[in-house]
Amino acid sequence: MIRWWPVFGLKRRLTEKKEYISPVDLRQPKTGIFNRSLFVYIIDVGSSNALNFEISALESPQYNIHRFGIFLTDSPRHADVLLILGRPVTKMLEPLKETISQLPKPFYTVTIDDHPDQPGLNEYPELPNHIAALTGVPSPDKILGLLLDIAKTKRKES
Amino acid sequence: MKVLIGIVATPEDERLFILDKGKPVLTAVNGKHPEETFGNYSILKQHLSKINDEPMKGPGVFKFRYGPVTAGVREAGCFYLYTYGEKILRATIDISWKQREIAKAMVDKSPETALTMAERICSNFALSHSVAFSRAVEMAVDISPSLQTKNWRTLLIESERIYNHLYVIYKLASAAAQKVLAAHLSALFEEALRLNERLSGSRYLMNINSLGKLNHIPEISNIEKIANKYLAVAKQFTELYKHSLKNYNYLDRLHSAGTLTAEQAEGLGLTGPTLRACGVVDDLNDTTEHLISLPVITQKEGDALARMEVRAEEIVNSCHYLADHLRASDSWYDATEKDVKSHNANGTGYAVVNSPSGAMGYYVEVNDNKMQRVDIFTPSYPGMYAVSQGLEDLIFTDFPFVFESFGVHFADAAI
Amino acid sequence: MKILFIIALLFYIAGAVSSPKTQLSYIFGFLGSVSAFLSACFALTRSQILWNFPLLHNVSLSLYMDHLSAIFIIIATISWMALALYSVDYSKLYPKKRLPLGFNLSLLGMLLVLTAHDGITLLAGWEIMTIFAFLMMQGTGKYFEHSYRFLAFGELSTISLVIGFAALYVTAGSISFDALHKGSYFVLILISLGFIIKMDIVPFHAWMQGIYGEIPDNTAALLSAPVTLMGVYGLERVIPLLPNNQLWDIIIILLGAFSAFWGGLQAAVVNKIRLLPAYSTIENNGMILTAIGFYALAEGSGILSLHYLASFALAASIILVISHTFSKTLLFMSIGHAKEAYNVHTIDQARGVWSGVGRIPAIGIVISALSFSAFPPLIGYAGEWMILETLFQSYRFPSVAIAFSAALAGILIALAIGLISFAMIKLIGYTALGYDHGRKSRPIARRFMHTAEISLGSLLVLGGIGLPLVIIFIGFPQLLTGLLAIPAPLVLASNQPVFGVISPTFIGIIMLVLLIIPVWIFMKNKKKTRKVESWNGGIKLEEDEFFTAPAYSQILEHILRGFYHTREKKSKTRSSITVEDILIRPTVFISNMVMKTGKIVASTLMNGKISAYVAYILILFITVFIIGMVVK
Repeated sequence: MIRWWPVFGLKRRLTEKKEYISPVDLRQPKTGIFNRSLFVYIIDVGSSNALNFEISALESPQYNIHRFGIFLTDSPRHADVLLILGRPVTKMLEPLKETISQLPKPFYTVTIDDHPDQPGLNEYPELPNHIAALTGVPSPDKILGLLLDIAKTKRKES
Repeated sequence: MKVLIGIVATPEDERLFILDKGKPVLTAVNGKHPEETFGNYSILKQHLSKINDEPMKGPGVFKFRYGPVTAGVREAGCFYLYTYGEKILRATIDISWKQREIAKAMVDKSPETALTMAERICSNFALSHSVAFSRAVEMAVDISPSLQTKNWRTLLIESERIYNHLYVIYKLASAAAQKVLAAHLSALFEEALRLNERLSGSRYLMNINSLGKLNHIPEISNIEKIANKYLAVAKQFTELYKHSLKNYNYLDRLHSAGTLTAEQAEGLGLTGPTLRACGVVDDLNDTTEHLISLPVITQKEGDALARMEVRAEEIVNSCHYLADHLRASDSWYDATEKDVKSHNANGTGYAVVNSPSGAMGYYVEVNDNKMQRVDIFTPSYPGMYAVSQGLEDLIFTDFPFVFESFGVHFADAAI
Repeated sequence: MKILFIIALLFYIAGAVSSPKTQLSYIFGFLGSVSAFLSACFALTRSQILWNFPLLHNVSLSLYMDHLSAIFIIIATISWMALALYSVDYSKLYPKKRLPLGFNLSLLGMLLVLTAHDGITLLAGWEIMTIFAFLMMQGTGKYFEHSYRFLAFGELSTISLVIGFAALYVTAGSISFDALHKGSYFVLILISLGFIIKMDIVPFHAWMQGIYGEIPDNTAALLSAPVTLMGVYGLERVIPLLPNNQLWDIIIILLGAFSAFWGGLQAAVVNKIRLLPAYSTIENNGMILTAIGFYALAEGSGILSLHYLASFALAASIILVISHTFSKTLLFMSIGHAKEAYNVHTIDQARGVWSGVGRIPAIGIVISALSFSAFPPLIGYAGEWMILETLFQSYRFPSVAIAFSAALAGILIALAIGLISFAMIKLIGYTALGYDHGRKSRPIARRFMHTAEISLGSLLVLGGIGLPLVIIFIGFPQLLTGLLAIPAPLVLASNQPVFGVISPTFIGIIMLVLLIIPVWIFMKNKKKTRKVESWNGGIKLEEDEFFTAPAYSQILEHILRGFYHTREKKSKTRSSITVEDILIRPTVFISNMVMKTGKIVASTLMNGKISAYVAYILILFITVFIIGMVVK
């Protein structure tokens, strides 16, 4: 017999309520245009895959990013923020530039350099509107804190 | 059974890195014809970065490129799907978009530095890489780690398996648009990552393993709570999984997607859940010194559904295994710590570890406390061949089920 | 009027004589068409006997121009004028003299068909048209073995007509159209079958495949639009005169609907750029045939309440004829223009006409393809709405069998319209507006081509927006009304009291306000927008990574594999999927039989030599007449 999923889904409350704090300060003043609505496109340019997993974890119901109006888009053409995972391998430099050129203005770029001392990777090219640079493998709540900073939204513990 | 894990080649000779009844061995080729025994010999020998790159021609046939930047497969990698509309005639996979040349960069580094680099090849397999590397180096420089270290490594490998398997099933569920199931699975996945952090201090079990020892022993005051949490994960997962098996919508999409026969899987040199889903009982479990032997889970069909079933059962088994042994971990402290000093600074070593997606092999040469040579054989490389073969003759909508069900990663395939 | 008509004939003859000077010859053809057009304009208000020549007792040859002839002459001559202009430039690519010779004389033949008032004149025009169209098919200088099939079907049509008129002579003692009401059902079936064959109705379309790829573009346009128009004219002319037979009407309706469906089905999957419009011709003529059949059924039933519906069906057939003739001529001209400029044969190869060849042929393709896809407010929209609306009202017939058949026809035609839109998107999306991959076309003379394309394109738009005028022109002002805020006569109603209405005029105005003006404002401010490459996963799309036209229709080929007889072949390096039009199998079978059993017969009769062919026709004529006389 087919059992009904929504009933199962509603039984548990998974969303957490706490304050998400960004580990870094924004490098430039932000515009108010993204208040409570931020669309993020993610590009992996050479990360060690931990960041990809962290983004998947960020999509989990514990964080419930949609309540803040934050969404991951499927195309850079719909994005407000380009989240760059890892430092680029040589072959990904060109696709990275192309992706940036596809972003509609205004937009921000955010970098997360998972392993700053890793050899064999390139420095970032000139990134326009580079609003924040994280290092290491930040946990989803830190990434969420940064995105909330950009979106000018805070959810306090209640 | 014998599985060819890799080929260690120098300009003069060529040795085969074989997993023989769970024990890694190196044998010289010596004019024999290894390609007759091992179907994957030529795959490993050529080690191409464009997998299955044979163009398909014909009226209306074109190359549908998926990658290198897409939201569907977030990692940097590229698929070329030859098609005349809906059917995938051939899938060529280009892994070079993630090529970081880490194995080469390890040369002339100290083993400790190389160990951190090994963890960063594919961080969701960080512990497997780390353990395989350290075991190989320990063999090369003749260190025997303590029983406590060995036991903790075994436990941590299981916790790595849990979150990776949860991730794969979560991805399959979201690809099949099973929103509720996917949301609950991703919650469990996040829970598993948090448990990793409580256990080891890192969500990806990094920086805990070291050469011959652990960098730090997990805090035992919390261990009972963590053990209970693992049991809770197993319980919740079982509930979800049983519920999902009632959903024919979901099962229909996984059923007969990316089917491999046992012969095909063995011919590609596959190991791990992918091989076990084809009904082959492998002895990968023997690569780990388990405290008690874990059962080998197999399924017969060899499709995406079978691979998911194997993974699901392994999650539950591993959770129970972890919970049982975490509770007993305080007794390990009585074991006498052995001297972990190196006896010699030169030598060659090799090791195989049962990573979440299959056999992970390392071959190292150490000279004067510097890495002379590192050869890394990951499960994702033959896995990419399996993806390519599994996609053939399917239609585009089957793509995510096939790709996600193999549990392969570009970071792991392109080193 | 008479003088203009004679001038037209003289111009055509002058064109034929001056065929070595190809451009001059086409200009004569153009002038001839202008004269014919003008004479038809006069005939709109006043019918006139142009010529009467008593041949035998009871048998006289006569030319006559009435309102119906005039409408069809006007429709045909507009297409001819455009084609003649187009051919002036086109002749620089194919300077063979047989092309303008065939062109002028087949126009002459068609003019005779459109004015004929008796069987012999009609057949004379019919044969002149067929022979010289066949001559034009050889215009590229290439030999291709399938061309004899065109002749074979042409002859089938002629034989059917000859026997039909012979039978008429036997029963009525005359072959004048005035005697048609005395004809038997046998006459009805044979004569209408002769015209149906010329309309390329399934399964008489089998000659198309293998031919449409090879013949010159102006010939393809001529064969597809004006020549099939003759079949329609013939039906519209004789069906009201002949005795009515309900069963035959139902057969015609179903045959037309099935033909429309089959044409749409095949058009959706063909990859040769000229075969697609050719199959679209089958689809359109199928709809026209259904409309005529419905008209005959409704009018012949004698039920007074069905009279409005009958005239609506007849109007539908004529609007469809106008739409088809103009759109198809424009489509063939634009495609031919693009095809010659690129020098290619498939939809895939002829991509990006807008940027690679020019905007005018691209717009030509878009407008004609949209008209075939029933896009408002183009005239094709009106035509296709009218035929569906007609069939929806089949419930008004008291007989269940009729209502059911007409409803079945409605289903098939609705499917056909869907399929043809699917096919036309290929032409719009790939050919007209696709990527050109940096290909540049070869320079060809195009001034006259552009003139022809622009004129027909504007007629399609104006014909749609000015639909009330067109309806009045074809003589059905009673179908127009006003509704709500839209004043009379801008609304076309499918019945009284109102059953369904459209007003393309009103839609045109709304579109102008809501679509065109905003687009224009957007284009004006376009400089502010940033242009980037299309998003393709971070790197540029290579030429072999573009979605191909066959791939577009593959899903259809797979789902409807029973209809298409889809076969898949796969080897290590090559994969292909093949479909076939299974309804041409009988023809292929018969022609293979003919080839096998009578190679000598085939080579003497169907080798393309005009003399042998004419001799054959004469022998046929005489034989039939002798039989007719003896029987009498």
